[in-house]
Amino acid sequence: MEFVVEEGKRVHEECSTLILPALSIGNVGQLAVDLLVSSTAGERVGYLDDLNLLPCVGNDAYGPLPCGDLALPLEVYESSSTAITLAQQRSPVAKGMMIKFAENIAEFAASSGKKDVIVLSSLDFQRLHNLDLSRGPQVYYLSNAESDGRDDRCERLGFGRLREYDSEGRCWKYLSSVFEENSKDELSFPSEDELEDMDYYPSLPFAALFSAFKARGLKVTCLLCYCSEGDNIPDAFLLAEAASKLMGLSPDKFHGEEGGKWRIPYSWKSMYGAPPDMSMF
Amino acid sequence: MEDVLTENPPPSRFIQDDLNNFASPPEPLPSPFIVLSNPKPDLPLKPSLLLISLSSPSLYIFHSLPSKTLIGTLILPELPVSGNTIEPSLQDKSCNIYSLSNDNSILLVSVQLPVSPERSNLVSRLLVGQDIVPERVIILDSIQSRNFRGRLSPDETLAAKLETSSEKKAAATSRLNLDYFPSGSVIDGLSASLLSRCQLKNIRGTLVVSWPEFDPSVVRFLGALLKNIVPGLDVASVGKDLEMYSSRAGLKKDAWVESDLYT
Repeated sequence: MEFVVEEGKRVHEECSTLILPALSIGNVGQLAVDLLVSSTAGERVGYLDDLNLLPCVGNDAYGPLPCGDLALPLEVYESSSTAITLAQQRSPVAKGMMIKFAENIAEFAASSGKKDVIVLSSLDFQRLHNLDLSRGPQVYYLSNAESDGRDDRCERLGFGRLREYDSEGRCWKYLSSVFEENSKDELSFPSEDELEDMDYYPSLPFAALFSAFKARGLKVTCLLCYCSEGDNIPDAFLLAEAASKLMGLSPDKFHGEEGGKWRIPYSWKSMYGAPPDMSMF
Repeated sequence: MEDVLTENPPPSRFIQDDLNNFASPPEPLPSPFIVLSNPKPDLPLKPSLLLISLSSPSLYIFHSLPSKTLIGTLILPELPVSGNTIEPSLQDKSCNIYSLSNDNSILLVSVQLPVSPERSNLVSRLLVGQDIVPERVIILDSIQSRNFRGRLSPDETLAAKLETSSEKKAAATSRLNLDYFPSGSVIDGLSASLLSRCQLKNIRGTLVVSWPEFDPSVVRFLGALLKNIVPGLDVASVGKDLEMYSSRAGLKKDAWVESDLYT
């Protein structure tokens, strides 16, 4: 994976926290990063070029009016007001190459001096076993602060620890071993046919990213929410808000619309396609 | 008329299998490569302009142009060449490279073979920045209805562009006078990979996408566009037999899903 600095731009070393999405149901992580880039007035500083990423291009996603700035599959933004780096991924990784991709992006984070990483992702609502509607939408987390995934910061913020994380589970152990350079475990690659229900969580991209960043010695926290396919904008707001709370960002760090916190990206206007053809009525 | 009730929305969602960390990696394939005809020119080729056609209308134009010289071809090892003719034909599954001048300053690439998204990055690296290092690239493709968030009418000709930063900084008179592709819609596949290469390598690059996929009006539009870019281009012969290619008798979209049983 090569990091290409955009012409005329430079990387700011003080932006030592990296926030990035893991591809997941409802594209929630990507939508949340869109919201964070747009609302913190993030400035693109470069691109990440990886052979394992499927290609896509588009017009500027953030606006206020699209001016023809080319958008590439994996872009790096910096927000000097919040001292965070945001990586936005717009296209999928080639099937079967997620582990390699995670290894590459962890290498980028480590070599560019990142210390903290926040991965934003969603989980299939059908997998949620204990639904508690009294608390409202719940954000879950997984951290490498402690071996069981627990993190005091996240607990104080009211996030729920992902209890399905089992560092001794075979798939989680396999992910750890594949990223650890000096791992003594010789574990076999879990076949797709052998995967069971419990293997759902470690099979997701966020788990590969978590394990890769952990192996590079970075502090990594995954913020997760359960959702279904549909209008996932509320889920994106939930995760973006959780990320800003975890970072301790005050509202004045944001450049929202009409004095508010959040700025809707321009590209969201056409998220669900063109309006219906009214001539049929 | 399209049925608005059952029309499929553009795909923007993932298939669970595609997100699986434990999905088997693909079988490794030999890398694509470029073969050049004798006498072999020195590599890399450094044209001032590289024109790459992927859409049916643009492939038809390139095929109809007289006074071009076949100088090489790009080979995708996984694709059989059986069924291809000795003389280049629009029905061939090939990726031929032509020169419009003796000094190879203007090159044409006709991409008539199906390049999967997974192989696009390797192909684009060969064409931009490795065996060929152009000063400027223009890519011609069709709007992909599955990725387009607006309405596409079958009887309305549309064209839009995306440019690299280098192209945007160039003199306005040298740039293509087209509206930008709307924000919120995306382009994927080989044309996206090619334009991305241009951006990463700081090369002037423009991707022109047109609609409909098969229509004489688009052929005429692109012919005029190319004439504007290369004034010496002989597009007069492009209009002959145009109606034969106004139907889907020409190169089909998504040809990479076609069976190789029949060649």
